[in-house]
Amino acid sequence: MWREWIVQSERQWNKFFNDVMGTDQYNQAMSRFMDIYLNGQKTLGEMMGRYLTGLNVATRSDVLAIGERLAAIDDRLTAIERHLGSPSGTDEASSSPASTAARPPRTRRPPAPAKG
Amino acid sequence: MSTSAAPIDASIEARVRREVERAIQRNVKGVQYLRSSDPVMGATPKDVIYRRGTLQLYHYRPVASEIYRVPIVMVMSLVSKAYIFDLGPGQSLVEFLINCGFDVYMIDWGTPRPEDRRLRLESYVLDFIPDCIARVQVDSGEPDVSMVAYCMGGTLGVMYAALHTDGPLKNLACFTTPVNFEGMGLHRQWSDRRYFDVDRLVDTLGNVPPEMLYSSFEMLRPVQRIAGQIKLWDNMWDDEFVRSYRMFDRWGADQVPFPGECFRQTTKELMWENRLYKNELELNGRRVDLHNITVPFLHVMAEHDHIAPFAATKELSTLVGSADKQDLVLKGGHVSLVAGPNAVRRMWPALDAWLSVRSV
Repeated sequence: MWREWIVQSERQWNKFFNDVMGTDQYNQAMSRFMDIYLNGQKTLGEMMGRYLTGLNVATRSDVLAIGERLAAIDDRLTAIERHLGSPSGTDEASSSPASTAARPPRTRRPPAPAKG
Repeated sequence: MSTSAAPIDASIEARVRREVERAIQRNVKGVQYLRSSDPVMGATPKDVIYRRGTLQLYHYRPVASEIYRVPIVMVMSLVSKAYIFDLGPGQSLVEFLINCGFDVYMIDWGTPRPEDRRLRLESYVLDFIPDCIARVQVDSGEPDVSMVAYCMGGTLGVMYAALHTDGPLKNLACFTTPVNFEGMGLHRQWSDRRYFDVDRLVDTLGNVPPEMLYSSFEMLRPVQRIAGQIKLWDNMWDDEFVRSYRMFDRWGADQVPFPGECFRQTTKELMWENRLYKNELELNGRRVDLHNITVPFLHVMAEHDHIAPFAATKELSTLVGSADKQDLVLKGGHVSLVAGPNAVRRMWPALDAWLSVRSV
């Protein structure tokens, strides 16, 4: 009995909250909240950047820039590799014994459909 | 009178005894629950055959003595971890498929790093997926590949299929794949362009934080967590229920950041303009026309999906040009469609039946 009540209550409360969250007023409130959150993040990021620059330490943007350059180099290597026609993988795992071990033959057929 | 009263007494006694035993078990196992660590997931034996940035391409070791000719590539959504396909023994779609004799590969997007904020739909559809499929062709030695894709992974999958009509794709199976974004319910309302400044969000944060995504999914069913914990306590005596609960709970909370540019593009072009559905989406100047898809196509949808609602998914197969196409609407929700007892009983055998005859 109480288990059924839990299920019903869950359904009703979910519907109630969903109805509330589907209104324009809720969207406006969320928009204001997001505005405050993003302003806070931006201010914090700028302050931290100035502080780290003052200490002569790499900022988040500097680290991101290095990461992006590394990713670009990675992409170029992949493109060169593809151009050379050897997409066998640069990863050492591709030549591990487990992956190169003899595999079962690709001869499997689907089971015959049941008659009747 | 006395003859009918005796069985009733026995029945009441048995129920009282059972409830008392369960109450004791709840307390004993409740303490164990708090002390134990998370279950191991994604443990089906596999090799990483390719790495690129955070992307990893897995090959699962076959267990059957002979396997189907055409390998399967599984493509996961961008918002969740890929191990939903491989939760644990008996609850793993990957394990089920390799036991059925399929050769299974999976693209795991990994956890995007801050420098991945510039990744766009083009990066996935025109670069990563074709790159991985080429690796699968080399690794398996087969020219053909089947794709099995889930949720937004399915959206990427149909975009890939539409733009690579002369490619190696032989079969395409999608699960709960949204195509008509007007049917996305609350997510569409929350991203209303009058109130939701996606440019400012992406420009400020880079990638969309996983906490934000997690909250948006939780808010679709705000009471589910509380009700779930009550159900957990009620079933604490049942080891199988607890194991299953912990796996789903951990996976649900294990969200990944959404690459910023891709989120901006998804919001503007799919959520606001509904361009994929309207046949207006372009990637690198090429129109993504789903009518161009001609390979055998299966779309499995969930009746009670609250994340990719039926209204958003139901029209996909009508847009696909394949002559051999099939819709399958199953009971269950977004996650229970692919993992858990519901999936084991319903979806997995249906997928096996559909794929096996098309994988020789």
